[in-house]
Amino acid sequence: MNDGACKVTVAKDLEDLIPTFMKNRRKELDNLRIALAARDFEQLRQLGHRMKGVGVSYGFERVSALGKSIEDGARSGDRALLESSIAQYDEYLAKVQVAFE
Amino acid sequence: MSDLADATRVTETAFRVLVVDDDPDMAAFLARLLSREGMSAETVADADAAFAAVAAAAPDMIVLDVMLPGADGFTVCERLKSDPASAMIPIVLVTALEDQESRVRGIRAGADDFLSKPVRREELIARVKTLRRLHETRRELEARRLSAEIQHKETLRKAFERYVSPRLAQTIIADLAEEGTPFRREAQRVSVVALFADLRGFTRLTEFTRVDEVVGMLNEYFHVITDAAYRHEGTIFSMAGDSLLVGFNVPFAQADAAERACRAAQDMVAGFAPVLATWTARGGAPTGVGIGIASGEAILGNIGSPHYMSHTIIGDAVNTAARLMQMAQPGELLLSRPVYDLVRGMLDGQRVRSKGEVALRGRSGTVEVYSVAL
Repeated sequence: MNDGACKVTVAKDLEDLIPTFMKNRRKELDNLRIALAARDFEQLRQLGHRMKGVGVSYGFERVSALGKSIEDGARSGDRALLESSIAQYDEYLAKVQVAFE
Repeated sequence: MSDLADATRVTETAFRVLVVDDDPDMAAFLARLLSREGMSAETVADADAAFAAVAAAAPDMIVLDVMLPGADGFTVCERLKSDPASAMIPIVLVTALEDQESRVRGIRAGADDFLSKPVRREELIARVKTLRRLHETRRELEARRLSAEIQHKETLRKAFERYVSPRLAQTIIADLAEEGTPFRREAQRVSVVALFADLRGFTRLTEFTRVDEVVGMLNEYFHVITDAAYRHEGTIFSMAGDSLLVGFNVPFAQADAAERACRAAQDMVAGFAPVLATWTARGGAPTGVGIGIASGEAILGNIGSPHYMSHTIIGDAVNTAARLMQMAQPGELLLSRPVYDLVRGMLDGQRVRSKGEVALRGRSGTVEVYSVAL
């Protein structure tokens, strides 16, 4: 993942919501790992669906894109896709830089 | 506050949006965008909390996510739209962009509009603003309709009050609102105190008076005696020529009906005295109010045809009061014995005399009559 993909611009009026948003994303990553380990595909589908909806709404397009991969992977039972998507999510959350304007 | 003020106040309240979404980030995001547009947003996370919030204070609009824990958004939407108390609240259903099936289900559930996730700021604002405008227009029209209805009722009440007692007017309007037709009840037997008042000698007086003057004089007279009847909560059942029939204890029970009738009679004569003085000063023929009061059973009901109907009382008490009135001299009140027994305590100090048993025209047997000089 290049660094450019990890730069996100968020509307200024959402700035105070972002710390909670990021905290919830990290909690989400933990829940994805737990669901993957338990092979709980329904839980994975729901988590992916939620990421897809909330990501772009806040300006985090990558979160939505990864959410879609996870939802698709959960639907088709594609464990490799799920593992890869969750790993990319982990990497993204570690690198993401948020600017406000 | 008056009904009219309540009706107009509706348009002045703040626009409140209830956001129903179990994702706290999504709920906070939607609430923030709505607040930025000057709306007041409350967030809840599930169906039960949504129902409770609507019951506590109905919002002006609901932004409702389809995927909720427990009952889903369709169920919430369906239930709110089937309840008359919440059916008019616009609901924006939030669904996934590609989910056409959800949109069809949403339409069936009664959703007013849809919003796709991920939510685009401009789309949310545009949809909410459009629905807000529609909702506010609808509210304004409703307030205007309510205001017109109140004014119409007020006009009706004022019109009725010229013909019946204020209390009866209220009952008629209530009957009209609830059943569409006043006096729907079947004819009923009632215990009544009937008062007949008449302007004695007035027929002779009219022979020497110009027609337009006669009308003015009658209006002066009726103004005084109807005021007296209403003051004591009597119900006027008929006005013919220069006579007036007033019922007490009907259609509303009055434990002191006989006393009320007597006081009304006293007020009629006392109130008419100054009017009579001006007529006499103008050289009019001698006249005055003669009154008869009798009590007993009567039938209360609608009498007439579908084209012309009178809500009135008929029966022996009414006939007896009419005959007593015909016998009464100007300024005299004639009472049947049962009425006299009920009011004798309040007649202390007044000139009362028994006229004994009197045969009344058109009536078999006699009636014991008491005369009160008013």
